[in-house]
Amino acid sequence: MSPAAARNPTRALLWGLLLLAWVVLPFVSTRHVVDLFVFAGLYTIAGLGVAFLLGQCGIVSLAQSVFYGIGAYSVAWFCAQKGFPSPVGIVAGMTLSAGIAVIVGWPILRLSGHFLALATLALGIIGQVLFLEWDWLTGGTLGIGGIPRIAPFGFAFDTPLRFYFLVWPLAAALIWLHHNLLHSRNGLALRAMRDAPEAAAVLGVDIHQLKVQMFVLSAMLGSFAGSLFAHYVSFVSADSFMIDRAINFLLLAVLGGVYTVWGPVLGALFITILPQWLSRLGDIHAFVFAAALIAAVIFLPEGFAGAIRNRWRAWTGK
Amino acid sequence: MADEMLLRVSAVSHRFGGLQVLRDVNFDVPAGSLTGLIGPNGAGKSTLFNIIGGFLLPQQGTVRFDGRDVTRDSVLARSRAGLVRTFQTPKVFSKLSVRENLMLGCYRHLASGAAGNMLRSRRSCEEMDLMHTQATDAAQRFGLREVLDRAAGTVPACMQRMVELARACISRPRLLMLDEPSSGLNTAEIAGLRETLARLNQEGMTILLVSHDMSLVEIASRVHVLCFGSIIASGDMAQIKQDERVRQAYLGV
Repeated sequence: MSPAAARNPTRALLWGLLLLAWVVLPFVSTRHVVDLFVFAGLYTIAGLGVAFLLGQCGIVSLAQSVFYGIGAYSVAWFCAQKGFPSPVGIVAGMTLSAGIAVIVGWPILRLSGHFLALATLALGIIGQVLFLEWDWLTGGTLGIGGIPRIAPFGFAFDTPLRFYFLVWPLAAALIWLHHNLLHSRNGLALRAMRDAPEAAAVLGVDIHQLKVQMFVLSAMLGSFAGSLFAHYVSFVSADSFMIDRAINFLLLAVLGGVYTVWGPVLGALFITILPQWLSRLGDIHAFVFAAALIAAVIFLPEGFAGAIRNRWRAWTGK
Repeated sequence: MADEMLLRVSAVSHRFGGLQVLRDVNFDVPAGSLTGLIGPNGAGKSTLFNIIGGFLLPQQGTVRFDGRDVTRDSVLARSRAGLVRTFQTPKVFSKLSVRENLMLGCYRHLASGAAGNMLRSRRSCEEMDLMHTQATDAAQRFGLREVLDRAAGTVPACMQRMVELARACISRPRLLMLDEPSSGLNTAEIAGLRETLARLNQEGMTILLVSHDMSLVEIASRVHVLCFGSIIASGDMAQIKQDERVRQAYLGV
């Protein structure tokens, strides 16, 4: 709980209720629902990177599936095939993702707007092709199985319930780190360069360097989420890292709201839970989901989080 | 002599297509001075200003800052060297609060990295405290205390100009370049601005003031007059006012 919440009793109460609901939920839900919530947690982490890039730097990234894939394959290769412990796979994936983000980001982040979005799309497509074609490394569509569970001190996170209590605290910690970043010297500079890049440069903000740094950070988050995903499902194949995954990450960022750090949580819940819930409607569920998406984008331009924040401010009079 | 000149513009010429905007412009800004650059609309002031600030590369000539050739340096490099400008239309960070705008003034003097910021390192927290303190102090000095927590884009235009000026001053520039700082201000506000600038200069800040507003430029110790892309006169305001070419070209008398 943040210090601000501690100062505001209503807010503290709301946080307390949310926390309680979070703890109780997996015990009163089916295994399938808990599984969906685990995926929502994984998508929150990957989507946080995309949302931060879009909201704070104005960068549309369609490349997050590549880093998600790198994280997953890194765990598959190091842990399943070479027998290294799980942190090795996770750190190797994040390092490789960071390296690729620097090499690719340095030139393409000089572009802006739709040119930059297209460049990240190209990266996403290249990743998709390589994941399929380099089957000696990735197993292609056949994939790599037998990935061990995360099991620190002999406690295996091997059920949806257990993984639920791993992934969400990790997501919360990462959201907290991004909250800190946003309210720091560099966070201010990010928001400044989004508003008036020329004035930011005059004050000594190295816009290009800051953008590359944030791209690297976003890539590392994507990779981390991918590594957790691989450990959770214990099998990875190229199908999981196609360009539609990148679109999903971008979608959840936009739907959730990119101007708050907790927006991706709502976006991730929306894109994982709602389609499943709607599937009981039968064949038309895809249309209903699409209509819900369009309605959300039209009526909530700042995303769910933005709408909630605005309502909250109107209510509290701040 | 050269060492006393903080800024030296030598033989700068620039042309946009068929239009010669600047023609062999030479002028200096001595350290510690308040130098004015005036001229009628279309004289080339903004082009010259953009060349000095690094927003435009001149086709000919050099810009030396503190004895070093900075003609090809980026805006960022010049900023790091201490050359800070404001804009004709104030560029505040509109979605940030006035306080946050001012806090960014000291950005270039601080050095915490993203990782430290995320983990709330001691250095990161100390920097935030320092930024807060400087912003509060500056708000007091520049009359912005009442609007500190408002989004900068929502405060009146004259205050946005003050926000930009205060922000630039917090960055402790070696040369503060002001582009038409009085535009959009009423007579009383211009008088206030004149006092502020004179005070800043007395405190040791070197200022280059570009304006077409004679009443504001009167506080300058030395004035250069730009007309049709050339410097046609230099001197103190009394000399400028007596100069025949200036009277013809600029004052219209």
